[in-house]
Amino acid sequence: MSQTDAAEPVANRTDGQGVSTTAGETVEETRPEWTSYEAGGETKFAVDDLDVHYGDDHALKGVSMDIPERSVTALIGPSGCGKSTFLRCLNRMNDRIRAASVDGTVELDGEDVYQDGVDLVELRKRVGMVFQSPNPFPKSIRENVSYGPRKHGDIETGLLARLTGRAEPDREEALVERSLERAALWEEVSDRLDDNALGLSGGQQQRLCIARCLAVDPEVILMDEPASALDPIATSKIEDLIEDLAQDYTVVVVTHSMQQAARVSDQTAVFLTGGELVEYDDTEKIFENPESQRVEDYISGKFG
Amino acid sequence: MPFNTSQTGWRARIERRLTGAREFVDDTDPEALAVVTASMGALLTAFIGFLLASPWTAVPFGAFLLVTGYGWARHQALVARAISLAMTTVTLLTLGLIVVFIFAESIPAFRYETASVFGVSVPGAGMFTQARWDAVSDPVRYSLLPMIHGTVMVTTIATLVAAPLGVAAALFIAEIAPPRVRELVKPGIEILAGIPSIVYGFIGFTVINPWASGAFDLNGGSTYLFVGMVVGLMALPTVVSVAEDALTSVPDVMKDGSLALGATDWQSMTSITLPAAFSGVSAAVLLGVGRAIGETMAATVMLAGVPRISDPLVNVFYGYETLTSLIARGYGSANGVHESALFAAGVVLFVTVLCLSIGSQYIEARMRRRLGGAE
Amino acid sequence: MSRATRTALVRDDRTLYEAVAGTAVGLSGVAFVVGLTALLGLVGIDDPVAGVGLSVALGALLLALGASVVGFGMASRFGFVDAAPQPSAGIVAAVAFTAIWGAVGAAASGAAGVGTGGRLALGAVLGGTAFAATAFPREDVGSTAPAGALAVLCGLSLLTGLIAPGWERALDGYNATLFGDTVVPAVVLFASLVTGWSAAKAYGGFGARGRNVGAYVLIYLVVGSILAVLVGLVAFVAAKGLPGLFNGFSLGGSGLVSWPFLTSGAGLTAEVAGVFPALLGTIWLVAGAVLFAVPTGVGAAVFLSEYAEQGRFTGAVEVATNGLWSTPSIVFGLFGAAFLIPRFGNQKSLIAGMLTLGFMLLPLVLITSREAILAVPDEYRDASAALGVSKWQTVRSVVLPAAIPGVTTGVILGVGRIAGETAPILLTMGGGVLPAKSAAPDVLGSFRLSASPPFVSNPSLLEATSALPYQLYALITAGLSGNIQNPQEYAWGLALTLLLVVLAFYAVGIATRYYFRRKLHQ
Repeated sequence: MSQTDAAEPVANRTDGQGVSTTAGETVEETRPEWTSYEAGGETKFAVDDLDVHYGDDHALKGVSMDIPERSVTALIGPSGCGKSTFLRCLNRMNDRIRAASVDGTVELDGEDVYQDGVDLVELRKRVGMVFQSPNPFPKSIRENVSYGPRKHGDIETGLLARLTGRAEPDREEALVERSLERAALWEEVSDRLDDNALGLSGGQQQRLCIARCLAVDPEVILMDEPASALDPIATSKIEDLIEDLAQDYTVVVVTHSMQQAARVSDQTAVFLTGGELVEYDDTEKIFENPESQRVEDYISGKFG
Repeated sequence: MPFNTSQTGWRARIERRLTGAREFVDDTDPEALAVVTASMGALLTAFIGFLLASPWTAVPFGAFLLVTGYGWARHQALVARAISLAMTTVTLLTLGLIVVFIFAESIPAFRYETASVFGVSVPGAGMFTQARWDAVSDPVRYSLLPMIHGTVMVTTIATLVAAPLGVAAALFIAEIAPPRVRELVKPGIEILAGIPSIVYGFIGFTVINPWASGAFDLNGGSTYLFVGMVVGLMALPTVVSVAEDALTSVPDVMKDGSLALGATDWQSMTSITLPAAFSGVSAAVLLGVGRAIGETMAATVMLAGVPRISDPLVNVFYGYETLTSLIARGYGSANGVHESALFAAGVVLFVTVLCLSIGSQYIEARMRRRLGGAE
Repeated sequence: MSRATRTALVRDDRTLYEAVAGTAVGLSGVAFVVGLTALLGLVGIDDPVAGVGLSVALGALLLALGASVVGFGMASRFGFVDAAPQPSAGIVAAVAFTAIWGAVGAAASGAAGVGTGGRLALGAVLGGTAFAATAFPREDVGSTAPAGALAVLCGLSLLTGLIAPGWERALDGYNATLFGDTVVPAVVLFASLVTGWSAAKAYGGFGARGRNVGAYVLIYLVVGSILAVLVGLVAFVAAKGLPGLFNGFSLGGSGLVSWPFLTSGAGLTAEVAGVFPALLGTIWLVAGAVLFAVPTGVGAAVFLSEYAEQGRFTGAVEVATNGLWSTPSIVFGLFGAAFLIPRFGNQKSLIAGMLTLGFMLLPLVLITSREAILAVPDEYRDASAALGVSKWQTVRSVVLPAAIPGVTTGVILGVGRIAGETAPILLTMGGGVLPAKSAAPDVLGSFRLSASPPFVSNPSLLEATSALPYQLYALITAGLSGNIQNPQEYAWGLALTLLLVVLAFYAVGIATRYYFRRKLHQ
């Protein structure tokens, strides 16, 4: 990913205003005006003026940002800042929460995902998701990986398919192997594909969840603090994997660890308390020379 | 060697207990100890007096109340502990007494119906090897087979009604319904559990039986078909509430994982939630079956009350007798071996339902362990 | 890994197709409801509709529905609409249609007078064809063709009068006859279910979404029917029972309200026969059971969750309590008859009934109290213990107050359940069919002290006493007749009274739960 051409000037509000928002008063006027940051490459997601309410709780306030294709975008910020809410808007997992209401537009390749008549199956096939704690299904490793394709009718298994001669065990086998290899798990599990996935270690389970997501052949992979429940070795494996995946996929990763964001991401968006996007820029820029005083305070550990 | 260790371990445990008890006695105020001993002793005496049907029972019971009242005022902590232990014992004792009394009362019938199986004479075998129940005319025989057949017919039909409808309703409440609708449907189904069985029976007797008699041109209106459907409706709330508990205990993140892969709600339910909750849902169905087996009043007022096996066996348009209705109808007018045979029917019911209950608890415990390991 | 094609998030316009399929779902619903009303006898199947009998009209509707369902499948198969069918309709649909068509074949050949062998053969042939038609073609055809064909067949047989109002058929050896009056509605109900499901799948565009819609339609129907049955039952009993319940009811006069049905007995002297003795009997019965079961159950729950070591012993007690909870009520009755009656004067008595119901209530109180106590967070106990408060003080002032909502709710719901129980008191308490007001128990006024054992006695507790559910049973076994003016009306009034008493307990229990939950969330 090259972002050299992305060094557009980033206008920002003054520091004084920024601090005042921590008290939660002047929300409207402190909305950032620097949405002009453009990362390199094609835009995958174009988010414009996104507001999310959970009942009376204003969880996300007028967030606008473009997420470029085939790169890693990190979303950082203190807990409760709305970064996970933002992530869950991208594949509409927020629909699960009935009290949530979403305003604004989220465009995937120019199509608004919140317009009427959107097929959620199609959207989630294209935008995969990996969760905070590994959540493999209580099934075999093989079934975990082929779950998505089976549900979408791409692979047929089972009695009826075998009876009617439509079962393609070889194709399934190839898909499982390819996905597990891509998730750097094949070596460790190739001899026990029929074992229950719950018997794997936490790190292996998380990579299995990534493989499960890859098997559906998505364009975007959303990761919600994918390493927060893992030990340092498993974490570094996941981080290597994230960098590797960015060659083919658009990866958006929420993390509470600034080191992780600095290590794996190409651009970083900083959310601060109150559900607003404070600064979005190249990762290097954010960590070395942020525009906003609040971001600098947050990064240096003084705030948040 | 392992035997030896286990034995020493056992001994050590007893010694530890003894030491503990001694320390407890040493540490406790002697007066409190005396009060508690007197109170528990009085309760025990009262219970023994009651068992022996002694007219003096009221005396130790009164003493128990007095001593306990005094103890409650002076040594509340110890008395409370002793009383709560006594109440636990009462609960266990209830189950024990049920077992002892209904088994004891059924012994004469089991003796009477002794039959030889492969040359060995087995008490009670006659209840299950021939099909005649006749308490009046010779030969007097007490076979339970006709009633077991009736119970099986009613329970089967009831399960066919309650299991699919119950699981569907549980899925609806746990997974599909919007919160507002759920707040309406859930109490509704609970209220369904509250309608007394005799009211169902009354409706069955005054409305369904006459209707069935006309609609199918039957001899009399009693049918296993409609009794089964009514009993199924009564077992439904049990299935719904237990199955719903099982479904909601499946962690949400699992379903989220499936939805995020683009599976629909229905696919996530059938491929993830239901299989994960499978044991809980089957426990629910087992409990529902237990309810259906034990259901008495609707069957008693809707069935004809003739202990006979229908012909052909699966003829749902006859309605003769079930184990429960046999007891409800016959008790009071029966005596001697006949009465004892009713207790034998009770034994069969009790043992069957207890097995179902223990089986469903075992299944549920296994599910909890498995899902607990998954988290 | 670049993708050759990128699927759009929004499908092509299917508005017309969806509108037609949605209409078909709605019409199936209409057919279902009409079939149900016909089965219940609210409308006759030969009632005229638009110049023809209802049966014929329904036949035409089924025919149209069947044809359009087949049409939906074809429209999708030949690409007129943008649907997302999967390669096959799936094993569940295949097995279901095999069974349905197998049964249709067997029934049809049976009606034509073919022997058992022929029935099996035709059933197998039709079932096999249905299996092939469901399993082999693509989903859009597989889940519509067998369904549509079934509806067309049903529609034709109604339309041509093959099954008509006057139709009847004796079931050999089954002691029963099938008439058009029941068969026509049954056919309509079944066929409309099938077309409704199939049309709903078409509405969702087949595939995963179609299945989702199809399944939801069926589940909503199930839940709707359960609620309809519930409402119907209560409304029916209310409609039948209100005249009896309000017989002689008047406002004003000497005592503000005069409600003879609830305040008088059924003796010859009573102007309006009432249920007072049984009502009072039920109240005393419940009070006695609660007095025995609630302290015992709560005490045992405290011991098990606060004092006993969690392990094998508590596990065993839990299994025993759950076993006790599911023990049939009639077994409790037998136990009460064998254990209590010989010890209380060898006759059915109020106190035997109280204790029997108390035994039944005990496991329920224990289970709910234990759940409520275990739900009290350990932090409360730790916080209290850290302040140096003794175990019992902690239980009394922290644990029990926190557990009160759960215990109260459980007790109220449990009481609702035992208040309606008949089987146990039938064996232990008895009572008259139509007790006069003088038979009402006077428990408080009957305590007697004496100088000889048992020193305290209460003849009222030792007498056979009637309660609402038992009296209803006794009336039924007496053939709904008796020495009163209108036994039928009296019995329905009695049933309504019983239902209201029990439902009142449930309503209060559920309301209490909501109240405490709301308080907790504030």
